[in-house]
Amino acid sequence: MSEIVVEPNSVANAAAPAVSAPTSADERISHRGPVQRLLVSPEIGAIIGAVLVWAFFWGNGNTFGTAATTLIFLDSAAPLGIMAVVVALLMIGGEFDLSAGMMTGATGILVGLMCKYFMDTGAPMWLAVGAAFVLAGTIGFFNGTLVNRTGLPSFIVTLATFFVLKGITLVLAKRLEGKVSVTLNKEETRFYKPFFRFFAYDYKPQNFSGRDVIFFTLVIVGVALLSAGLCEQSFIRRQSLHPTTALIGLVGIAGAAVGFAMLHRTDGVSSNVLWSVVGGVAVVVGIGGLGLGRYAPRAKSPTSPESTESTRTPTVLVKIVAAGASFILLACLTPLVLNRDERNEILKWFPSWLRVAVAVVAASTGAAIALRQMWPRMRERMQWHRPIQAFLFAVLIGLLVMVGTLSFLQLTTVQALRAIAMMVFSGLGFALLLSARGRAGKITSSLQLTVGVITVAAIIVLAFVVRHDSQAVRFRSGMFGAMILAAILLSVNTVLEVRLEKRRLPNPPADKLGRRLVAVGTTLAGIGLAIRVVFTNLSNGQQVVGKGFSVTRMSIVWWIVITLIGAFVLTKTKWGNWIFAVGGNKEAARAIGVPASRVKTGLFVTVSMVGCFVGVMVLMRFTSVQASQGDGQEFFYIIAAVVGGNLLTGGYGSVIGASVGALIIAMSDNGIGSAGWNQDGKFAFKGAVLLIAVLVNNFIRKKAQEAR
Amino acid sequence: MSEKILELEHISKFFGNVTSLDDISTSVEAGKVTCVLGDNGAGKSTFIKILSGVHKPSRGQYLIDDKPVEFDSPRDARAKGIATVFQDLAMAPLMSVWRNFFMGSEPKKGFGPIKWMDSDFARTTAKEEMKKMGIDLRDIDQPVGTLSGGERQSVAIARAVYFGARVLILDEPTSALGVRQSGVVLKYIRAAAERNLGVIFITHNPSHAYPVGDRFLLLNRGKSLGDFAKEDIEITELTRLMAGGAELEALQHELARGR
Repeated sequence: MSEIVVEPNSVANAAAPAVSAPTSADERISHRGPVQRLLVSPEIGAIIGAVLVWAFFWGNGNTFGTAATTLIFLDSAAPLGIMAVVVALLMIGGEFDLSAGMMTGATGILVGLMCKYFMDTGAPMWLAVGAAFVLAGTIGFFNGTLVNRTGLPSFIVTLATFFVLKGITLVLAKRLEGKVSVTLNKEETRFYKPFFRFFAYDYKPQNFSGRDVIFFTLVIVGVALLSAGLCEQSFIRRQSLHPTTALIGLVGIAGAAVGFAMLHRTDGVSSNVLWSVVGGVAVVVGIGGLGLGRYAPRAKSPTSPESTESTRTPTVLVKIVAAGASFILLACLTPLVLNRDERNEILKWFPSWLRVAVAVVAASTGAAIALRQMWPRMRERMQWHRPIQAFLFAVLIGLLVMVGTLSFLQLTTVQALRAIAMMVFSGLGFALLLSARGRAGKITSSLQLTVGVITVAAIIVLAFVVRHDSQAVRFRSGMFGAMILAAILLSVNTVLEVRLEKRRLPNPPADKLGRRLVAVGTTLAGIGLAIRVVFTNLSNGQQVVGKGFSVTRMSIVWWIVITLIGAFVLTKTKWGNWIFAVGGNKEAARAIGVPASRVKTGLFVTVSMVGCFVGVMVLMRFTSVQASQGDGQEFFYIIAAVVGGNLLTGGYGSVIGASVGALIIAMSDNGIGSAGWNQDGKFAFKGAVLLIAVLVNNFIRKKAQEAR
Repeated sequence: MSEKILELEHISKFFGNVTSLDDISTSVEAGKVTCVLGDNGAGKSTFIKILSGVHKPSRGQYLIDDKPVEFDSPRDARAKGIATVFQDLAMAPLMSVWRNFFMGSEPKKGFGPIKWMDSDFARTTAKEEMKKMGIDLRDIDQPVGTLSGGERQSVAIARAVYFGARVLILDEPTSALGVRQSGVVLKYIRAAAERNLGVIFITHNPSHAYPVGDRFLLLNRGKSLGDFAKEDIEITELTRLMAGGAELEALQHELARGR
């Protein structure tokens, strides 16, 4: 058993006036910080992926990501999202349901038919919906019982159910309607209205004047609580607040609020830059000041006693920093060499084939180095000392990336080359600088501060280069904003890390408080963001898509509600524990007294009933439903669950991850359309996303497990 | 002398015309370890299944606190305080230690009909109980799969003890372990006995059984070769009986002649 060696409790206490001394002084237990805990959670890959995919499409299309388009694509993705949640639960319980997709179509058709043909008997709609739910539940019960009793793979059993359902639905629809879809008669269906309100109400709000104030207040308070929570989990509290520093911090926070409020109000380029810089500096001063005021300062002595390393490392460190900085410089120079303007003076010096060759080699070397770093086994397999082999491999990767990007994004060669080269160079540069920062932290804090400042400076310089260079307005401002934000975060982090003593022992009350603060902060910021999106009057100077107001459908609400219920059930109730147990080791669970068969049957019933819920939702949303609705979707439910970090073999996973996985799939569909790319390419894109998400999940989990 | 918790009197078990166990008697006292020794096919698994309530004996009496009992399921046996730790340990390797610890008997809190799992309580309790077994886990949230074999055994034992076991039945807890890990598990068996539990330790390894056992029941092909107190038997005799006694001696002669 590898035990993490941590300096003894006494040293930490002597060095820093820790008031909240940990109650359980077990020096083997290294305190896992909030970031590390997030990294071992199953949904981390999906969350990172969602942010990246969102940013990617946001920068590449003019309609993706506005309030209206977001709400529209969330609405169309809701069936997938809701189903992904329950399918993930079933998958964690160790089973699949291939009939889940068809269930949505079959129940929709069934309710439609019943409403239509039992109308003359005066049957109200809730009777039809109730009957559909009962039928769906029965089918789920049948699936579950058959799987439990026979021990057959659920894959086969539910595949059979899928075909039977599909056949019956088609026969019924064609017999009764003469076609494969059913349309509801709104006027003649009794109780149509309440069902419509429950399943598909569309809310078109007016813009209200306080929106921005509420949005900003919630987001700022949320982020403040979030960062307070992170600090609470990472650092040691002082005995009492340091008044002067804390006061400076408060002033900084106030300044930040003013800065960002001004940033929101102004439109000019220079004033935008001015206020974002003011706001950024104020944030650093604010959080830094409050942090330094509340938490204990770092000990002067180096934390690492290995003196041999501390004398030797600076030269290595200087080399790494120099390499990182030169990569950033290369990234900054790239726009000059690969200029958009083909008649550019410098370009005349290079024939086009040479440019292509240089860029391919540059990009692919970077990719190869990254690959080599990431997969230790590849390092062993590939014989890197053979330069020709390495070179060919690198060129191959480079060409693949090139061809893929060119054909997929429909860019010109020069554009693609610029993008790739800048991405690779800056990525490598920052990876090196950040690793140097980590190393420096092990030697002295002042060294870490120096490297941190260099990194922040590099980010800011690159941000301005990108801003100056790019012609796409959205991409430009988005990248600039993101990079400035990254610079701010990194500065705050550096200030706190350099000045404060990290807590290395668990402190349950502080950890609990920190976790609560993080949860509350995230929720508040999320609500603020949602208010900003929902209450948008589109005619108000924004790019108008369709109607004048954004439309929020009940489907989105149901998606969120069902995700939250699923997450609560899975992580906080005994049922969740039983689902994990049944999926992880069914025999064991049964032996210890978990009603394994009941849990599995319950899961099948849940999937079928929620499938029915989605079917009715779609019927109410469009007043008609196709028999092919949901047919073939079951694989996307499973893909969403897998992207969200759920294991195909069961016993491990996350509901929130599955929901985010569904979001990624939906974003890919929507984003490719709004960016105007080849629609058929979305399959390739989804495949790549699936593969990358699973690889990243695996990689991160392994790393995080090792680091424990 | 402490009182007998569990007693078996002339237990037999037939499956059709196959006799699995024939006239077995033994007893378990609080704070003592009864070892059940037998080679493969001796009827050890049938014996465990009768003890843990999976099978009912075809003949004979099963007494708890001197009262005859009949179990319809393992649940009944557990309700009477008979806890079995099976070889596969009944754990889900990907679940955290505390989730495994409370699997099937989750602590609840909440108000009215809305109840959820009290995970804080579960975490602290699991940690404390493991500490009582002499294992100080680094992280109660780590998956059980990352623990060593011995530690996993101790989780299972601690779990059974916490949920009110009076008699702990351990099915070959050392069979899959190395020498050192086996020693660790033997220590936990002793620790459990010292907490005044009756322990039934099933094994085919006399050198594991002898140091911890107070009483030894030897099985061979469904029959009892004897039920000994520790002071009545030596480890050499135990080994000899276990390996089939006279048969092994004959084999040794044969081997010696062959040379």
